[in-house]
Amino acid sequence: MDCKEVSETLFLFFDNEMEEELLAPFRDHVGTCGDCARKVDYTRKLLWIVRERTYRCSAPDRLRHRILISFEHRRFAGPH
Amino acid sequence: MPKGVSMPKESVDHQKGWNFEAAAMPFVDALYNTAYRMTRNAEDAEDLVQETYLKAYRYYDKFEEGTNFKAWLFKIMKNTFINNYRKKQQAPTLSDFAEIEESFENQVSEDAAKPTKNPEEELLENVLDEDVQRALDKLPPDYRMVVLLADLEGFSYKEIAEILDVPVGTVMSRLYRGRRLLEAAMLEFARDHGYLREGDEPAKMRSRSAK
Ligand SMILES: [Zn+2]
Repeated sequence: MDCKEVSETLFLFFDNEMEEELLAPFRDHVGTCGDCARKVDYTRKLLWIVRERTYRCSAPDRLRHRILISFEHRRFAGPH
Repeated sequence: MPKGVSMPKESVDHQKGWNFEAAAMPFVDALYNTAYRMTRNAEDAEDLVQETYLKAYRYYDKFEEGTNFKAWLFKIMKNTFINNYRKKQQAPTLSDFAEIEESFENQVSEDAAKPTKNPEEELLENVLDEDVQRALDKLPPDYRMVVLLADLEGFSYKEIAEILDVPVGTVMSRLYRGRRLLEAAMLEFARDHGYLREGDEPAKMRSRSAK
């Protein structure tokens, strides 16, 4: 694997979508190439920010309530 | 149910309701978060999730046992979103998009010119939580959706392809583009906040300190 191929497959690697047989060549190249090692490191940080620092909104209680009530209604009313 | 045992229809529906509820309610936060980020409005997000649950309940018989239930719910929500809400959405801020894209292109060529130094990394370490949100909100909807499904919900490429009814290759290219745009937007915001290295765009620094 060369630098270009590493760039192209970076996200596959972090998404656990890389083909099995590419993992070793990917790691081998990154282990010996400073530029690619930095890219891997940077991408890891970038994805960490997107995945872990994005605020996740919880469903408001009134929404849960609305949904649950709608089920109840269906159960007692039966199918239309 | 064993053969020959006839249960009153009502109790069957009753049981179905409980099964559905137990299976579906754990995903209400995930669905709401995605709905909120796509509609950018709490009221629309609530209606979208509610409608998703009603439809999912109605079509629960059609759900194939052994397939991914969460992905199935998301697919219903995506279809509902496209039918009901997307038309109402204000068009993506195209000028912002072009701006981000341009700055991304610049950045790529800069990167190519000096591959050993990485000021972006330093910037990224200073990015504020609100920058991350703003950058995500700013993404064009198709890109935003893929990033949400992949990075916040952890769906595989194949699952995302099924949810969105697009080929896996499209998922990969949207994800690539979406993340790069997100990165460029976060770097923009981080720069605007004044996390500047020496020699970087002094004009923006001045406008910041004048505040
Ligand atoms: Zn390399």
